[in-house]
Amino acid sequence: MKILVAVKQVAALDEDFEIRADGKDVDPDFLVRDLNEWDDFSLEEAMKIKEASATPVEVVAVCVGPEDADEALRKCLAKGADRAIRVWDETVVGSDAIAIARLIAAVARREQPQLLFAGAQSADHAFAATGMAVAAFLDWPHAAVITQLTYTPGEEGATLRRELEGGVLHEMQIETPAVLTIQLGINTPRYASLRSIKQAAAKPIEVLTPQELGVPESAVGEAGSASRVRRMYVPEKGRAQMIEGSIEEQAARLAQLIRERTGGAA
Amino acid sequence: MTNVNAATRVLFEDFPPAAIVVFYVIAYTAIAVFFYGVYVAVRKYRRGAAAAVAGSLRARFWAMVETVLSHRTIARRDRPAGAAHRLIFYGFVLLFLGTSTITLDYDILGPLFHVHFWHGAFYLWFSLVLDVAGVALAGGLLYMMYRRGWLKPPKLDYARPDRKPGDVDYDRSEYRREDWAFLWTLLVIAVTGYLLEAVRLVWLEARPDVWDTRWWSPVGAALAQGMRAAGMSAAAGGAWRLGLWWFHGVLALIFIALIPFTKVKHIFTAAGSLMLRDPLAAQRLPRVPEQQQRVGAQYITDFTWKQLLALDACTKCGRCHEACPARAVGAPLSPRDVILSLREFANRTLDAGVLPEQAELDVHGKGPGQVAMETLWSCRTCMACVEVCPVAIEHVPIIVQLRRKLVEEGEMDPQLKKTLQTIHKTGNSFGESKRKRAAWTKALPFAVKDARKEPVEVLWFVGDYASFDPRNQKVSQGLATLLHDAGVDFGILYEAESNAGNDVRRVGEEGLYEVLATANIESLATASFKSIVTTDPHSYNTIRNEYPDFGGRYAIEHYTTLLLRLLKEGRLKIARQLGRRVTFHDPCHLGRFNKGYDAPREILRLIGCELIEMGRCRSNSFCCGAGGGRIWMPDPQGADRPAHNRMREAAAISGLQVFVVSCPKDLTMFEDALKASGNEGRFVVRELIELVREALSERQLAPSPVAA
Amino acid sequence: MSGILVIAEQRRGELRPVTLELVSAAQQLRRTPDERVAVAILADEPDRFIPEVSVAGVDEVITVPVAAKDFDPDALEAAALALIEARKPAVVLVPHSIDAFGWAAALAVKGDYGFATDVFRIAYEDGKLIATRGGYGQKVNVELEFPGKPVVVVALRASVFKPPEGRSRPAVSRFEPPRAGTRLTGKEFIEASAGEDDVDMTSAEFILAIGRGIGEQANVERFRELADAVGAVLGCSRPIADAGWLPKSRQIGQSGKTASACKLYVAMGISGMKHVSTIVAVNADPGASIFSIATYGVKADIFEIADALRRQFPN
Repeated sequence: MKILVAVKQVAALDEDFEIRADGKDVDPDFLVRDLNEWDDFSLEEAMKIKEASATPVEVVAVCVGPEDADEALRKCLAKGADRAIRVWDETVVGSDAIAIARLIAAVARREQPQLLFAGAQSADHAFAATGMAVAAFLDWPHAAVITQLTYTPGEEGATLRRELEGGVLHEMQIETPAVLTIQLGINTPRYASLRSIKQAAAKPIEVLTPQELGVPESAVGEAGSASRVRRMYVPEKGRAQMIEGSIEEQAARLAQLIRERTGGAA
Repeated sequence: MTNVNAATRVLFEDFPPAAIVVFYVIAYTAIAVFFYGVYVAVRKYRRGAAAAVAGSLRARFWAMVETVLSHRTIARRDRPAGAAHRLIFYGFVLLFLGTSTITLDYDILGPLFHVHFWHGAFYLWFSLVLDVAGVALAGGLLYMMYRRGWLKPPKLDYARPDRKPGDVDYDRSEYRREDWAFLWTLLVIAVTGYLLEAVRLVWLEARPDVWDTRWWSPVGAALAQGMRAAGMSAAAGGAWRLGLWWFHGVLALIFIALIPFTKVKHIFTAAGSLMLRDPLAAQRLPRVPEQQQRVGAQYITDFTWKQLLALDACTKCGRCHEACPARAVGAPLSPRDVILSLREFANRTLDAGVLPEQAELDVHGKGPGQVAMETLWSCRTCMACVEVCPVAIEHVPIIVQLRRKLVEEGEMDPQLKKTLQTIHKTGNSFGESKRKRAAWTKALPFAVKDARKEPVEVLWFVGDYASFDPRNQKVSQGLATLLHDAGVDFGILYEAESNAGNDVRRVGEEGLYEVLATANIESLATASFKSIVTTDPHSYNTIRNEYPDFGGRYAIEHYTTLLLRLLKEGRLKIARQLGRRVTFHDPCHLGRFNKGYDAPREILRLIGCELIEMGRCRSNSFCCGAGGGRIWMPDPQGADRPAHNRMREAAAISGLQVFVVSCPKDLTMFEDALKASGNEGRFVVRELIELVREALSERQLAPSPVAA
Repeated sequence: MSGILVIAEQRRGELRPVTLELVSAAQQLRRTPDERVAVAILADEPDRFIPEVSVAGVDEVITVPVAAKDFDPDALEAAALALIEARKPAVVLVPHSIDAFGWAAALAVKGDYGFATDVFRIAYEDGKLIATRGGYGQKVNVELEFPGKPVVVVALRASVFKPPEGRSRPAVSRFEPPRAGTRLTGKEFIEASAGEDDVDMTSAEFILAIGRGIGEQANVERFRELADAVGAVLGCSRPIADAGWLPKSRQIGQSGKTASACKLYVAMGISGMKHVSTIVAVNADPGASIFSIATYGVKADIFEIADALRRQFPN
């Protein structure tokens, strides 16, 4: 039985970043890349199923990204994934969540997993769409924001809980194969020691192009996306009205604000 | 007239040959049992991992002999015990040599070469010396009994913080029984030796060459007088002699036979441990060999034969237990009990003829003889245990090796996990962007040279806390100003500096340590400098002692020696004497680790501070509690902390004005502890650099420029 | 394509108020005064919600019966797809909600529509639909356009658009969706663990929230006491809830509750926050990003302010 885990190498902004010349993205020099925090949880969930299973389970990590995304895949291999696949060529540049999902769906058709995990959202752009878009391309059952999953390899279907606003949980039953997006806190991700990451460097990462997956150029990049970036800019920083003075003076002003706003409830 | 030359003791006098044979059978059996015990022990050690011994064995041997003869390590922090042990040691050694001399004369030189020397003047002096030795031995033993039975120091009650009542190995009565048995057995052997001496004199009173020379055995002679006064006849003496002879002899032989099976083995294991000691055991941790499959110590057989030998050297003296800051605040760690647990585990598994299955050799856990995670994570790697151990047991590397396995499995506090991941990502434990590392320099009125771009004489390795923590940034700015004013040509690495890795290594994340060390060495290779100075004792330790193993060899000093030089050379002119009453907290990694006790004190003297030492100072300085990665782990709710404990010690100094530190983590920990322990307003915590700055300027300085 | 279609969200027989925020947003998208705003109710008993959605600005209410009582993405996607293909609106508005996470993107793929989520500003510029959202952890703004997509599905951020005031009398019509197989079946709803310390954040008007800046668990009590003294409900950021220092029900922020009734929010030692009307941020770090969205800021040590503030409310 196979679980395909889609991961993303997200980018965080360094201090004093700059927008690049064409105004559509941040200058890559100021981007710090790391594996998406949600993906730690999806991978861990896959590993839990694998380790608890009486029958063999193969965990395959897939990432759409350029060469530096290998680092994210190595972390997955270090944590116990059996194989890793990276999808990339220059035509992928400019893809949004939908175009990326198309590529991941193509990998899924190739790999035929029983479960496909993605993170509920990514730490950088938080579109929260890729997972469900993959499900639509595959026409598979799908559910998002999963905080608990019960699945036994070999059995049909899975029981899950999704976390709703207000902390309410909705327990549901889903048919398999299925696409699930995983929420933070579903488990405790294991630590990948530097040594295990270094050793994982020995495991090969299969690199595929969209063409090799049967996805034409018209279906990736900006052409294959459901949106296009017109402009990226730094918003005017609103500035809070700073309350100055000594600690006592600041607290007094705060207390005054509180009494004003809450109608002297306290 | 007595023929002095005829003075001697006839061995086996009046013994029927059968009796002598019986004696020798017993003796050889005892020796055989002894050697069997040695064989079992050596087999146990050989079941451990391989280890190289650096340096010449001869030099090590003589160094060990000197240490043992001087009893320097045993006298530390317990002078009466040191004195008493000296008596026991010398007494025992002399008596043993005495018996060996007799054996040499009687069993070897006599039969083989017909040479006898044990008679005459030699014999008489021999008798006197051994009588005195016996008194020393007995005296020492009696003191030890008094110490254990009446003084009852807490470290000898063997109460262990890592087990609860009800746990199988919680009860330590067996150890106490063994201790008393040892003392009593030796004492009885000594006393019966004197009694035997005395009854022989009574028995042979008619023989002038025995009776007339009796006062060369003063104790025996005095006892003999007493016995005769009590009416003992020569015949009775003879009868007593026979009985006591066998009793004393067989007891002594049993004692010898049991040496390898009892606490008495410390005679050999302690000597061995001392001989094989690594003086940089805690300062320079061992690398993980490339080919090694598993990292760290999981099974008892993962420890080296040296470590297994050291486990047997422990005599439960409790000095490490007393010194440990974690134990002092109630954490479930006592270095002594880690060693004893592992020893019990080793004895249970490795003494067996057939080595048990590997699964049974796992030392991690809460079973008997195992070491729990909580115990290992409590350690501050301050090396107080290693430093004080009289028999050179190296607790810290053992704990770190056990931690390495925990790290591989990810079994650690979640906050620690996150910090390690943060350090991997950003190169610092604050999670700040690399670019911000030198942000503290922006507030300075002068530019700090970039050592990557231009050569400098002194490269200042700043460290995480000194770069990113606001309070410590002020100190960094202060030192930068001092160096600038003194005209020192210095620079920093800016973004190319990463966490030096000292604490990462001591947490057990060796892979991450290698990444950090390699990165820093590469950065240093791009710079051109004569020497390195650092404000961070942790960085100082690892760059000085551990980076050479990774190809980075540098001349490095802590800022205190550099500052002292600048003051002495007049490059920094002291404008005023501060006249404050201060105490100095020796940072673990500067003081105990690297013997840097004197420069800070000299500086305090030069700037006119009155230094009152705390009880636990210099090599016995009490850790602030931040080491070993503990600063990245939350403390249990409501528990005491090492830093608070230290504050209480400082608060006992009447009229104390300043608690002086020279380490960024100390500054952070003690400023917090000052408030939390209720001492705010009574005295302040200051970094040495801040005091020096005060002494240099004409006016009283407010804290240095605002952090960037 | 013309017209704006709002897809209402309901759960357990109640209309989720965010639906009305979508109606407000829809008003801004009228390119001509007679472009119609329709609200589609996809539920097993859609008629119940007609009165509630009949607010100012709604021209039409479309009831779309679907089989499942609970959330069923397959049914919603099939129904919405059919409705959109029948009506061809230019813009389809859904909330950026947990439910929508589970079906909106799939809808966009199936219909090959334009798609954007967590949008907080939406307007036509030079005839082109431009949606603005955040990027790189909300540190930048991104303007998205949808060339070649006549229909665009947009998930709007909650608490940005104020619900309309006033009512309307919209035309009501019914749309029968195609039957859809259900592959995800609801079993039960489980309330957030009703511990003693649990609280309903959504109704709290004055919240005092703590974040990682408080340092250790032992300090929670101090701030709880302060919250009590000043009359606030104690809330926290995700790391605090994840660590178990406070129950999840007190968590506010990205993946927590929407503090929608909150009028005053005092954030101590938290560096980021979603939009609430009046935020007072207390943080020792002058560069904390919360200062750019807060109304008032106090740059100080949170413990010192906590103690001083406590003294202001002696009781």
